Amino acid sequence: MRPLRELRPVWVVGVGLHPYQKASETPYTALGVHAVRAALADAGVAWSEIQTAYTGTATTAMGMSRLMYRHLGATGIPMAQVENASASGSTAFRQACIDVAAGLADVAIAVGVDKPLRFGMPQGPAGVHDLVASRLLPFTHFALLANRYIHQHGATPEQLALVAVKNSRNGALNPNAQRRRARTLEEVLAPPQISGPLTRLQCCPVGEGAAAAIVAADDAIGRLGLDASRAVRVLSSAARSETVYRGENFDAALTRETTKIALDDARLKPDDLDVVELHDAFTVEELLYLESMGLAPIGRAAAQLSEGQFDIGGRVAVSASGGLLSMGHPIGPTGVGQICEITTQLRGEAGPRQHGGARTGLAHMVGVGAVCVVHVLQTRM
Amino acid sequence: MKTAAHPGLYDPDDQALVLRGTRCADCGTAFFPPLGIGCEVCGAAADRLAAVPIAAAGVLHSVATVHLHPGNDISAPFAMGEIQLDDGPLIRATMIGLPDLEMIGRRVEAQWVVARTDNDGNEIIEPRFAVVPGAAPVGGAS
Repeated sequence: MRPLRELRPVWVVGVGLHPYQKASETPYTALGVHAVRAALADAGVAWSEIQTAYTGTATTAMGMSRLMYRHLGATGIPMAQVENASASGSTAFRQACIDVAAGLADVAIAVGVDKPLRFGMPQGPAGVHDLVASRLLPFTHFALLANRYIHQHGATPEQLALVAVKNSRNGALNPNAQRRRARTLEEVLAPPQISGPLTRLQCCPVGEGAAAAIVAADDAIGRLGLDASRAVRVLSSAARSETVYRGENFDAALTRETTKIALDDARLKPDDLDVVELHDAFTVEELLYLESMGLAPIGRAAAQLSEGQFDIGGRVAVSASGGLLSMGHPIGPTGVGQICEITTQLRGEAGPRQHGGARTGLAHMVGVGAVCVVHVLQTRM
Repeated sequence: MKTAAHPGLYDPDDQALVLRGTRCADCGTAFFPPLGIGCEVCGAAADRLAAVPIAAAGVLHSVATVHLHPGNDISAPFAMGEIQLDDGPLIRATMIGLPDLEMIGRRVEAQWVVARTDNDGNEIIEPRFAVVPGAAPVGGAS
C-alpha cells in the first residue's frame, strides 16, 4: 500500500457552495448546479474540462447524478453516486482525489448534494433487531457518550454547551451556514431538552444544500492556466471502518485510528494543524474527537475549549465554518463543505472568520456503520 | 398470555433473566443481539456460532434521560442505559425509572416489565434494567 502523497500531487483548485438551509421546494438539481458553477468560477475552469464526477449523497434518490450535471452540458463523463452515510461527501472527495493521484483523470469534481427525504437504515433489511429500536436515536447515542464523558472527566453540562456557543459564533460569520445567530450560553442551555444533557442547540440541523470541490493534477493546472498560488495540496486521505473495540466508544476509536493514519501519511503531528473541521453533530463529539485526534489530552478538551484554545485566533481553530452544529449537516454536502472551508481558510480568503496564519488543515467525518474519513490539506510551501 | 416485545431476543416466561445471545466456538466472543452468518471478530462461519444464554446483569456504563421520542411504545421522559454485561457484550436497554449520573459504575440487572397490553389482552413483556440495591459501585468498568 502506498499513501496518497507518493502518487501524483492532488490540488484543490476550486470550491463552491449552495447555502445550507431548511428543507424547501428547491430541486436538488438546482442546489447542486449552483455549487458546481461556484466552484468552476472559483477555479477558473469550464465544465467541459471536468473529466469525472463523484456525487456524495445519502438521503435523496437513486441515480441522481446525470439529471443534475446535464444542466452544465452533457459531456459524457463518468459519474456516480457515493453513499457512505454522514461521510458520503468526504468519500466522494476521496474518490476524486484517488482518480487524479492515480492519473485516471487530470481534473475531477466531488459534489455533495442532498435533500432530507429518505433516511433508510440497514438494520431492518439485515434482520438485525436489538432491545432499543427507535428509543435510541442518534441524539441519545450521543447523550450516553455525553453523560459518560461528564461522569468520567468531571466535565459540566455548561462546558459541553460552550462547544455550541463557539460554533454559533463562527457560523454567524458564514454566509453559507444554516444557523446564522451567535448564541449565548443561556440560549444554548435553554429548553427544549432533547436527550441527556443535550438541548436543541447542541444538536445539528439536518437540512439541504450542496458543496463542490474541484481537484486537479499539476499537468492540468499548467495546461489550463489556473492560479497555482491559490491551489491547496491534498497531503493525505485516510478511511477506515469500525472493528471490535470491546467497550471503547467506536466513533472515538475510529477517529483516533483514522486521524493517525492521515497525519502519519502527511508526515505531520497534531500540533502542526491550524484549522480543523470535525463531525460535531452533537456538542460532546467535538470534545471526544479533539482528544482522539491528539489535539487535547484525554479529559481536557472541555477545559481547553472554555479557555478559547479552539476559537478562531486560538491555538487551533476548530469548526471555523460553524461546524455541523451551526453551518448544518445536510448529509451528502457536509464532508465536501469541510473541504471548501479548509481551502478557503488556507488561502487566507475566509474574511471575518479567517484564522490567522492558517497553513495546514484537517477535515474529519464519521458515518453510521461506522466509518471514518480524514483528509489533510496544506498550502503551497 | 405473555409475549416478548422483541421476539427472538428472550423468553418472557423464563424464570432466569437471560437474553438469547451467540458465542463463537473459534474465538470465544459472545454477542448480543445474536449473530448469524459469520463471526464479527474472527470471521468463523455460521456453524461455529452457537446460541447461548447471556445473563441480563452487568455494570452501568452510561445513562441518559430521553425527553423527545417520536414513537408511541413508551412515553418520554424515559431513560436509556448502556450496560457492560458480565458475559461480555456492551448493550443498550431501557431503564426502570429515571436514574441519575451517580448510578454510572453501579451494578444493574434486568427485570421483566409489562411494556403494554395489546388488544387481545396479552401482556407485552420486555427487560428493563435497574440498579441492584446495596451493591457497591464497581471500579474500572471496561
